[in-house]
Formats: sequence, C-alpha cells, structure tokens
Amino acid sequence: MKRAFLGEFEEVVLLTVAFLGEGAYGVTVTQEIEQKTGRAVGFSSVHTTLQRLEAKGFLRSQMGGATAERGGRRKRFFTVTAAGRKALVDVRQVREELWEALPPGTLQLFGN
Amino acid sequence: MKPTRPPRWATWLLTRWGHPDTREEAEGDLLELYAHWVQTVGERKARWRYAWNALKLLRPLAKSARKPDYSSPFFLSPTMLRNHFKIAFRSLSRNRLYTALNVAGLTFGIACFLLIGLYLFDELTFDQQHRHADRIYRAIQHKKTPTENLTIAASSYKVAEESKKRLGEIENVARITRTGRANLSNPETKKVFQETIAFGTPGLLEMFDFEAVAGDIRAGLTSPNAVVLVEELALRLFGTTEVIGKTVDFELDRPLKITAVLKNHPLNSSFDFNVMVSEATIRHDEEFERWTTNWASQNFSTYFLLNEKASPDAVAQKISRLLNANVTWEPGTSAYFTLQPLKDMHLHSEHIVDGARNSNVEAMSQGVLLYVQIFAVVALFVLLIACINYMNLATARASNRAKEIGVRKASGAFRSHLIHQFLVESLVVTTLAFVLAVVAVNALLPAFNRFTHKELSLGFGTDYRIWACALLTLALAGLLSGSYPAFLLSRFSPLVLLKNLRLRRRGDWSLRQGLVVFQFTVSVVMIVATVVLFQQVRYAQSKDLGFNKNLLLVVDINSGEVRNRAETIKAEFSRIPGVQNVSVTSRVPGEWKSIPTVKIRPEGSTDEHRVAYLIAADERFANTFGVRLLNGRPFNGEADSSSVLLNETAARLLGIAEAAGQPVEIPSRSFGGSYSPLRTNQPFRARVVGIVKDFHFQSLREKIAPMVLAYQKNPVHTIDYFTSRIEGKEIPATLARMADVLAKIDPTHLLEYHFLDEQLARFYAEDERRETLLIWVALATIFIACLGLFGLATYAAEQRVKEIGVRKVLGASVLNLTTLLSKDFLKLVLIANGIAFPLAWWATHRWLEEFAYHIEVEWWVFAVSGLVALAIALATVSYQAVKAALMNPVKSLRSE
Repeated sequence: MKRAFLGEFEEVVLLTVAFLGEGAYGVTVTQEIEQKTGRAVGFSSVHTTLQRLEAKGFLRSQMGGATAERGGRRKRFFTVTAAGRKALVDVRQVREELWEALPPGTLQLFGN
Repeated sequence: MKPTRPPRWATWLLTRWGHPDTREEAEGDLLELYAHWVQTVGERKARWRYAWNALKLLRPLAKSARKPDYSSPFFLSPTMLRNHFKIAFRSLSRNRLYTALNVAGLTFGIACFLLIGLYLFDELTFDQQHRHADRIYRAIQHKKTPTENLTIAASSYKVAEESKKRLGEIENVARITRTGRANLSNPETKKVFQETIAFGTPGLLEMFDFEAVAGDIRAGLTSPNAVVLVEELALRLFGTTEVIGKTVDFELDRPLKITAVLKNHPLNSSFDFNVMVSEATIRHDEEFERWTTNWASQNFSTYFLLNEKASPDAVAQKISRLLNANVTWEPGTSAYFTLQPLKDMHLHSEHIVDGARNSNVEAMSQGVLLYVQIFAVVALFVLLIACINYMNLATARASNRAKEIGVRKASGAFRSHLIHQFLVESLVVTTLAFVLAVVAVNALLPAFNRFTHKELSLGFGTDYRIWACALLTLALAGLLSGSYPAFLLSRFSPLVLLKNLRLRRRGDWSLRQGLVVFQFTVSVVMIVATVVLFQQVRYAQSKDLGFNKNLLLVVDINSGEVRNRAETIKAEFSRIPGVQNVSVTSRVPGEWKSIPTVKIRPEGSTDEHRVAYLIAADERFANTFGVRLLNGRPFNGEADSSSVLLNETAARLLGIAEAAGQPVEIPSRSFGGSYSPLRTNQPFRARVVGIVKDFHFQSLREKIAPMVLAYQKNPVHTIDYFTSRIEGKEIPATLARMADVLAKIDPTHLLEYHFLDEQLARFYAEDERRETLLIWVALATIFIACLGLFGLATYAAEQRVKEIGVRKVLGASVLNLTTLLSKDFLKLVLIANGIAFPLAWWATHRWLEEFAYHIEVEWWVFAVSGLVALAIALATVSYQAVKAALMNPVKSLRSE
C-alpha cells in the first residue's frame, strides 16, 4: 500500500535525514526536529515514520557498530534513497507551483 | 552523576512486545534519549516520556512495514495454492488408510448433519411460503373462568369483522370454520369422498399465497355456493383439474360451483384443507346468523394481516378492549386476545387449543419444539465427533510428518505456510467427504422422506439458504478439523523436528484422550436413550389397557340414516359369521377425534362441578370391549336412557363407592373449547347404575381420567361408531358383508373402518419414528467414534513397534502385549461410561416423565450399554493390538 505522496510529518523527517547526512538515526532525527521546528515530537512517531519511509523506499538503512553508551545496542542509520530525493524535489516543486499560482494580492492579506 | 535507569517495566514491555525487527535500535535510541531527557527536562519528566514512547512502540501500535529479508508470497497466490494441493494429495494418497478413515468418518458426520439439517430447516420454515407471512397473525383467545383456563385459537365473527372495520392497523382478515365431515360427491359420476367441510372468507385467498392451478383465486370465495378444491381432490373426483364451473355436492342441500383449483399444499404448511366452501354460502343460515351476533363465541379460526408498521401487541390489546367493551362477562370470567405470528404456529402452539372445529375434525398438525431442539443438538454432536476424529488422527500422525515439517522449516517455510498447508489438506478431505455426503444424502432421501413424511430434497432447486448453511458447515468443519494440527504441528522448532526428538507433549496426549472420552460419552448416552425409548414404546404397546384391544373392528357412522337405524344394523352385523359382538358408541378408546368432557356433580350438591370425559355406549359395550364391571349392572336397553356408568376414577371423584342409583347432574359439555349448555338447555339428570374398572381410553401419556359412560340415547353426544369383536379369519369377507348391510340401509354411505389396535399404535408412531432415528444416529456416532479409535490404535501400535519387539524378545506373550496396547483405550471408554451414565439417566428420566405410565430405567440398561461400548471399542483396538503383537520382532528391531 504505497502512497505516492509524502505526509507533512514524513516530509519533515525525510528532510531532516537528508540534512543530517551520515549521522541520521532515531535520536538525532528526533532532536533535530525538536530544535528546528520547536515542537515536541514523540520518539515513537519519529521511529514509526522512519520505518514507514523505509517501507516506501524513500530511505535506506543499515545497522551501525556496537556502542558502549547505550547498553551495547547498535544504531540504525538512515540515508535518503534516489526515490526519496525525487519525492522531496517533487513536493517542493508542487509547493512552488502553488505559490506562484497565487495572485500577488493574496499574500498581503496574510499580513506579511 | 549517578546514572539513572528508566522505568524497568517499560523496558520489559518493550523487549517483550516491541516489534522484533526494530527492537534493538528502538531500545537503544530510547535509552539514549532518556539520558538526554534526564539532563534537559529532569528525571521525572524523562521517565514519563520514556514510558509513554515505549508504550506507543508496542505491537500492534507499532506496525513495522519493513520488508522481510525473504518475501513471503501471498498465501492465496496460484503457485502456492497449487503447491498446497499437490502436497495435500500426495500425503493423502501415501496414507490411504488414514485418508479412508477420515473421509469415511467425515462423510458419515456430514451426511447425518445434512439430513437432520434439512429436516430442521423444513420444520423451522413452516408456513413461510406466504409473501406476507411475517405480517400474518392468528387470533388466540385466553379465557379465564372460575373453573377453567382456556387458550384457544379462535374468535367470534364480531371480533374478526369489527376489528378489521375499526382498527387501521389491520389490512385484512380471514376466517375459517370447520363444521364437520361430509360426503363430497361428483354428481355426474357419483364418486364420493368424505371430506372435512370448512367455510372460509375471501380474505383467506387474498392474504395467503395459495397458488391456483385453474380459476380465479381472488374471487374464489366471494360468492355464495362457491367452492375451492385442491388439485389432488379435483383429480380424485373428476380425473382432471379443468373443473372450473362444474358443480359438486357436499350434503348442503344445494350444489356448489367450483371457482378455483389450488395447488396441493406443500408439506411444510399448517393448512391442509382439501376443500373450502365460501362463507357466503351459509350467510343466511339460522345458525350462522346466531354466530354473527355473539361477541364472546369461538366459532372461527381468525387470521389478521397487519400493516407494516403495526405492533401486534398493541393491536391485540385493542382487540381485547373491543371484546371487553361489548361483552358482559359473568363474575370471575375474563378474556383477552393475543396475536400469534404465523411462523410460530407450527412449533409454538403446544398449549393452544385448535378451535373453531367440530369434534369430528382433526386438529391442525403441530411440530414439537423440544424434538426440534434435541435433533439440532444431535446433529451438531455428530458433526463435532467427526471433526474430532480428524483432529485426533492428524495430531497423532504429527511425528510421522515431523521430518517433513522440519525440512520445510529449515528451507525457509514460515509457520503461516505450514498452517495454510494443513488447512488446505483438511479442506481437501472435508470437501471430498462433503461431496460424498451430498451423494449419500440424495441416495437416502427417498427413504428418509417416507419415514419423516416430508418432501425434502437436496439438489440445485433447494433453497439457497440450505446451500449457504451447508457450505458454511463445510468451511467450518474444514477449519475445525484442520485447526488443531495446523496450529500445533507448525509450532515445533525445526531443530527438534530434525533431530528426531520425541514430540512427547503431555498436553496433546491428554487432549486426544479427552476427545476420545467425549466421543464415547456421546455414544453411550445414545445407546442408553435408544434402549429406553425402545422399551417404553414396547411397554406402551403391550400394557394391559383395561380392555382387549385385539381384533376390534371399528366402523364409522357417516350418515344420519345409518345412525337412526343403528339397532337394525347391529342386529344384521351380529348375524354375520365371524362377528362375535357388536356395540355402538360415540367414541372409542384410543380415539383420535376429541372426546367431549362434561361437568358433573351429585345432584343436590353445591360443590364445584367436576370434569369428566363422556362416551355414549350401549348395553353391549362392556362385553364387546372386554371392560370389567366392578359393581352395579350394565345398561339394560331403552329404559336406561337416563342411567350412567362411571369408571373407578370418576366414582372416586364423586365419592361413590358402590353404584346404587345415585343421582348426578350434567349441566354442560365441551368439545375442546368452552363449556356450553346441553342441546336441551336442561341439565342431564342421570342415575349411576354401575362402576367399571379403569381402562386407558387415551394415550399412556395421560393419566386415566374420570369417565362417564352414558346410554347411547343421551342429550350430550350421539353415537358415531359400530365396534365389532371379530374372529381373526376371513376378515375381508366379514368386511364385505358389513359393507353390504350398510349399503342396504343407505346407498350413499361410505364405509370407513379401522382396527382399534392399529389406531392405538398411532399414539406412539411418533415415538417409534424417533426411536428409529435415534438408532441410526447412535449407530453413526459409534461408527465414527470407532473409526477414530481404530486410527489411534493403529498409530499407537506403530509408535511402539520397537518396544513391542523388545518385549517379545524378552518373552512377552501375545496376550500380554494385546492387553498392554488395549488397556489405555479401554480406560478411556470406562471413563466415558462413568460420565455418560448420569447424563443418560437424567435425559431418559426427563423424557419418561412425559408419560403418565412409563417404565423405570433399570440398571441393566446402563450395564448393557456400557458393555456394548466397551466391546465395540475392544474389538476395534484389539485388531490392531493383536496384529502388532503377532509381528516378527526381527522385522521391527532389524534397523535403527
């Protein structure tokens, strides 16, 4: 059941993974989103979203080496796949098209 | 800083229930975040967040959609299915014996289930062939007087007509009244048949969907002197159904014109009238006009068609109000109406008197709900037992297939694949059994129909609901019988399976034992029930009834002429050689028509009236029937028209010990409905001249009731039968002579006769039918149980083949080994006996209580049933045991 589009939160997570590059795993993604957006995100939702994105083929993952700091448990690192990049570009393009289609006066009504 | 630990229960939960694919990193990530949270938001909040996130990661909340490393094909994919089927056929054909046992058992079970299911479906869909069946209700009057409570399916003309006029909820009304039996004849050919004479309103043909073969059904009963025939009767009378416009004669002093011919009633219809005359025919008869003015009477069976939104209870209340507003009841008397749905008429009319009929008219036939329930349970049990067999054999064979399962698992089969495979296998077996069962049912149906008096069929034309049920049963049976092996066998780890470790699981063994015990419990209960039923039926047929029922020939009086000249006929009859004694009576013992009851009390007494049955008899009654006179004298001819005899019970009730002409008064009588004054409107005053010994004039289900024998000419009831005691030879000649005598007196009179013992046997015909059914079901149950036992014994012998070899080498005898192998199973059968006896005792007692006169269940019945079960089990098991014990130990010990 693959959705052809990205949910809002999925987009944020995917972007964050792309931004973090090599060091993207559950904890860093959660913390980054919290910092950047200023909203409290549950780890569980980040975790499930990562899983979902992987299932959709937008992310690829691999296990890192064993670490001492977290009880010897390994980390799962995520990287954006080509499909993921394309999805991000698509989303951005749609947004931009929409923005451009907006009549010039409308923006002022928003107050900025 | 002291390292703090997150809540341990949350970690435990996560480890236990988190998704296994991502458990490691999720735990690690959470742990890391916890440390982060402790520093940023404090320990308390961190713990809370940790727990909250952990909870949300539990399954099934956390659905990881990560693809497994090896993709699992969709279980319904054609390739997989083909493979499942292939494997199923291979393993089934490799184990021919087991397959045969399984298929045979399931075929038996499913066939029984289908047969009983068809029967039940027929019983439960009685009267539902009418389109408006769910809106049609029968009026039931509940009447309470100080002495009696009467629930009768009847109403008065007024109640039916006025309710329809005044209550908007009632769309239509139909009335039937059955006034007796009369000769129906074809005036052209003079063919004559005696039929129940019934009058109906046009509503009857509008409301119910009786189909017409010829004629206009809507207008069938609208005009006076119109009559509607049923196909079968039209064929008998005319030889054709093209009879519209022809006339018939029905002893109504005017010819009736046939307006429509109806299709024969289906056998699952409560309506069984052959002929229906329009009510308008008797509209202007004096008696009918009296009926139309009386609100409280019970002259008509009344059916209402309510509109869609009407509530039957509310309508019934309104009808009751209408009734009570128009009737002034005597003090202590009250009445109200309820409406009985048409579909309840067949099975839920146990305490409802079928009213609006003359005492010569048989009541509407009914089903017995209790037996419907019993049969439903029995059907399920038989099917369950057959499924259990399959489960048993399949689990027992688990270890034989252990290697196969191990290899499958090792080469990557998931548990779900194995489950599917086993389910497919069991579905193949059940489908095979189902097809065989359908064939078997079709082969058995003709006999079954003859036996149950039904028209059941299982074919393409059968109601879709039956097929839906059957297929559902098939699917359920397949799943049920396949589920246990499917879920159990697939659970073992491949290591255990491949290393050939013993699959010794105490649980399985005790489950199998439990199932065998269950099977034999049911079997033993059935054996006991069959024996008891058989004994009771035999008891009923051989019990001393207080009169001699053998060789009593009963001839009906079917015309007024014959009745008036009964004395002459009696004299003529006695002259026929071979006839020993002739008596005339109003009713005979073992009567199927209703015997009237009367109210009676000693004259001058102010006590409540007692209720007794009344039969009119003549001076030769006691002689002919062989009823013993205890004291007093028999009737002595005409002079005795105001004398009565009592039976012992009635005498006791009235406090009369010795008959000495005690005066009694009989003010009113009843033919199943309310009591009404006698025809003369005067109480019948009589003297008790004799007391006879109690005799059974009803079925043995009833206690002997008080009985008054009045002289043949009495104001309560007229004579209706000649009963002759005849010699057992040349019966046809005797009958022919009797017919001649009657024909001389009244050429139109139809000879109807029966032998009293045959008539009495009909009381127990249903019981005999149940007995036969029970015998078959019991046999089927035992057969299936034995198949299962046989399979298990075979398996047990196979399993212990090495052990047996070693024992043999060490000197065990064949007897020793047989005992060793049989012991386990016999123990189970003994346990089953222990459970079955109390159950069977309870069930048979409940049934026997229905009879006022019944046998006692004796201990030997249990002993015999238990021994039979044991013997059958022993025979089944020992065959395998002996075979195993006789085997040459060299063969079994040669290879390892």
